[in-house]
Formats: sequence, structure tokens, C-alpha cells
Amino acid sequence: MASEVESAAPPGGDVVRQQLTDEERRERFVEDAVPYLDQLYSAALRYTRNPSDAEDLLQETFAKAFDKFHQFRPGTNLKAWLYRILTNTYINTYRKEQRRPDEVSSDAYEDFSLYDRIPSTTSASAESKVLERLTDEEVKQALADLPDQFRMAVYLADVEGFSYAEIAEIMGTPIGTVMSRLHRGRSGLQKALYDFARQRGLVDHETPADEEGTT
Amino acid sequence: MDERCHDLLVELDRFLDGECPKRVEHALREHLQECEPCFDRTDFEQHVRALVAEHCREDRAPHRLVAQILTRLQVNAS
Repeated sequence: MASEVESAAPPGGDVVRQQLTDEERRERFVEDAVPYLDQLYSAALRYTRNPSDAEDLLQETFAKAFDKFHQFRPGTNLKAWLYRILTNTYINTYRKEQRRPDEVSSDAYEDFSLYDRIPSTTSASAESKVLERLTDEEVKQALADLPDQFRMAVYLADVEGFSYAEIAEIMGTPIGTVMSRLHRGRSGLQKALYDFARQRGLVDHETPADEEGTT
Repeated sequence: MDERCHDLLVELDRFLDGECPKRVEHALREHLQECEPCFDRTDFEQHVRALVAEHCREDRAPHRLVAQILTRLQVNAS
């Protein structure tokens, strides 16, 4: 199968790559990978939740990506390849240091729907009005408060627009796990947004679905 | 809530993520045109995703960091 793919590739793929001089390889890397630098910084900032760690993570990611660039197959997904290196580096380095329990209390996130918590009696678009009044800080904080695996999955899907298959490859998990992390991550995010909205009085404290013990 | 509303709830994540088979997506779109509660819910969920996309992306890496990374690439190659 792999050899079929290789023989079907346009002439001058891998063969040429191996014949590149160091200088040519560097130029190719700068041309192809460096355009993703801003995007990867954004992801690094959401992963680490602090600018100083994000800078270290990005430096390390680019150093690793350059070292491994000869392994990258031209014509495949460079963006996903770079995100995989970023994600692995984060998981292996920064998460270990934090010693945060990983999937702890994630069951609490199961199936929380912000939509169901906002009474729609006042006007047809009451729900969307609440969303519009949430601040930049609140949305960022809601994402930041999610456990790592959920935060990364939601970021990769909602901000980067990666497909389930791409996220599965980036995170090194089966697609079913990606879907479960996305669902729970988004539920957790909506729960956090709901709490912010309630604190600021954007939503009534007593809403139809808001009965203690139902979550 | 009829069966098609139930189908939409079950498929909502996949539908909004563009991961439904074409046939399922088509059926859900048809349902959304005729069911206001399902349309409102779907619209809201889409809105939340857009909110995350809008607020959680930084535009640019700091210039100093970009310069450092580019410099390191030059050094490594020489």
C-alpha cells in the first residue's frame, strides 16, 4: 500500500528531498513551515495559558520540526504535521511539569447545554443576545479552564477547523475519543460561559432547566 | 419532539463539524428548514463555536520570538 502511494506520487517528491543540501532544506522549511508560525503561536498560548511558556513551546516545536523535516512527506498535510509536533511537545514537557490530574471530574461536563439554560420566552433571539454580551476575557477563560485534553480538542476543532481525522492524528487518539473529548469539552465550555453569564446577571438565576441535582 | 428532531440532536456535533455523510446532512438540512426549534438550537450551537474561534485566536506571534526562531534556523543550517 505504502509503495503504491509512493510510486503514484509525482516525480521528484521524496527522492529530491533526500538530495537537498542543508541550505536547500532550510530554505524549503522557512518557505513552507514558517508561514504557520503565527497560528502555532496562538495554539501554544491556548495550550500553555501563559505567554512565556508559549514562547518556549513554540521555539522547541520549530527546532524539532526542523530536525525532523527530512521525514516529512511532501504532498501530505504539513499543517497537521506541525500541530502534531506542537501537541506532543506540550504533552511531554509542560503537562508533566504541571502534574495536573488529567481527566479528573470530566464527567461533570457531560451534556451541559447553555441553550437549554436560557429562557427563550422574552424574544426569539434571547440566547444569542447572551452570547453577544460575553466578553473576550470570559470566552478565553472558559476555554482555559478546561482540562488539557478537552481544551486542545476544542481548540483544534473550533479555532483551527481541523477534521476529526486530523485531530485524531494530531492527538494520537482514535476518532471516537476525539468526538467524546469535543462533546465534553464544549459542554464544559458552555457551563463556564453560563456561570459567567449568571454572575453578571445576563441570565436569571432561576431558569427553566436550572434545577439542582439535574446535572 | 418527533423522530427527526431526535435525529438532529444525536447528529448535531457531527453536522456542525461537517462530519456527516452527505445523505444524512441533506436530510438534516431539510428538517432545519421546517422545524424552528431545531433551527434555533443549531444556530445557537454554531454561534458558540464561532465565538470560540473569534476570541481564542491570537493574530500574531511576538516579533522578537519570530526573529529568534528564524535566527536559530540559520544557525542550525550553517
